[in-house]
Amino acid sequence: MLSYFSNPQRFDQLARVLIPIFGGLALVLLGVGVWLALFNSPPDYQQGETIRIMYVHVPAAYMAMALYVALAVASFVYFVWRHALADTAAEVIAPIGAVFTMLALFTGSLWGKPMWGTWWEWDARMTSVLVLLLVYLGYMALRAALEDSQQAARTGAILAMAGIINLVIVKFSVDWWSSLHQPASVIRLDGPTIHSSQLWPLAIMALAYTFLAGWLVLYRLRSQALRRRARALQRQRDQLARQREEAVS
Amino acid sequence: MNALGAVFAREARLAWAGGGGAAGPAAFFLAAITLAPLAIGPAPDLLMAIGPGIMGFAALLSVLQSADRLFGDDHADGTAELYLLSGATPAWLVLAKVMGQAVATLWPLPVIGLLGALMYGVPVETALVGALALLAAIPALSLIAGFAGALAAGIRRSGLLIALIATPMMVPVLIFAAGAGRSAFEGDERAVANLLLTLAVSLGTTALTPFGIAGAIRSRLG
Repeated sequence: MLSYFSNPQRFDQLARVLIPIFGGLALVLLGVGVWLALFNSPPDYQQGETIRIMYVHVPAAYMAMALYVALAVASFVYFVWRHALADTAAEVIAPIGAVFTMLALFTGSLWGKPMWGTWWEWDARMTSVLVLLLVYLGYMALRAALEDSQQAARTGAILAMAGIINLVIVKFSVDWWSSLHQPASVIRLDGPTIHSSQLWPLAIMALAYTFLAGWLVLYRLRSQALRRRARALQRQRDQLARQREEAVS
Repeated sequence: MNALGAVFAREARLAWAGGGGAAGPAAFFLAAITLAPLAIGPAPDLLMAIGPGIMGFAALLSVLQSADRLFGDDHADGTAELYLLSGATPAWLVLAKVMGQAVATLWPLPVIGLLGALMYGVPVETALVGALALLAAIPALSLIAGFAGALAAGIRRSGLLIALIATPMMVPVLIFAAGAGRSAFEGDERAVANLLLTLAVSLGTTALTPFGIAGAIRSRLG
């Protein structure tokens, strides 16, 4: 299946269909989600109206991590099968993931002020998200520093794969270091402990963020793929022109 | 094994001959722990409490300080290609190389860490635990620095890039190594656990990172 869609033309056909679907779904779900989250859900009995920050914060944190996993998977696929498209995917995912990470940190800070009384708390989860941001930045800086695109692709893939092992260890070590966050409350073996009136808007927002990220990634992926093709065609044209010149002279 | 021994010895000799041996990281470490009290203030209680943490942090920075040389020079003069062509297993080769440099240049870190902790007024026992933790952390720190160095080999001004790549990877070992000193200071029984975890991270890094470094070198040769 991977090889099937690594064909640029097939990918282009697929992306042309998927981009408007993802974009449309993202817009609709965001509209519904924001309306539910901000107007049509009850305030929390403890946190009051500030609970509404959760609906923009939690999905952003989830996307920050999910996109890193996607980055690592794309890197792995590139590393093993050498599909150029997988590398392009890794390349376009990184900045989008970094932005979601920043959004998660920023909204978390806004939520922390009324809840914990500080903008920033050196607690386990916040700290590991900050480390995640550094990992994204390191990956992007390495790619940017390497001029040769093939070197950038391979070296970046190795760093991204090492990064995911690292992030797992960081998670455990930082938990050991300190924790102030509430324990996980949505995905648990005995079912979510969050009330359904809050779970629904949260789930819709999470879905909306997912489609938004998918839309952005596919859109940029397609533009990058087209740019590569345009460059290849340009090179071909230049070569033909040169050959014709030589033939004339 | 002969080739590995030769690489190990070469790296150790190179570090002594060209790079001033252990002087670079040691001087950096010393400078960092001298500056910290100047920034924080001379209050003895505060210095005593932060001493173990500062030692771990400053040791981490001093390892980063020489990370661009290890693979940068080999990348520039073509030695890296010869390593891959030599027929020896690349992962073993880079492990020997990193360890050669670490043994030659990083041995003063636990000693300075011990002295520095005592200067900060940390009790002797705690300072010893901290120094042991630094010793246990050296394989992990040097291998991670080597990995970042191999990824960024030959890039101009690679020092900054190496620091940006290596610091997130050094988070666990910093937490455990500095945590050993901190919990020893607080009389917490977790000091031993932290020490063992530092060792565990070091062993895990020793097992995995050489493959990463070898892959990084190969990828940078395009």
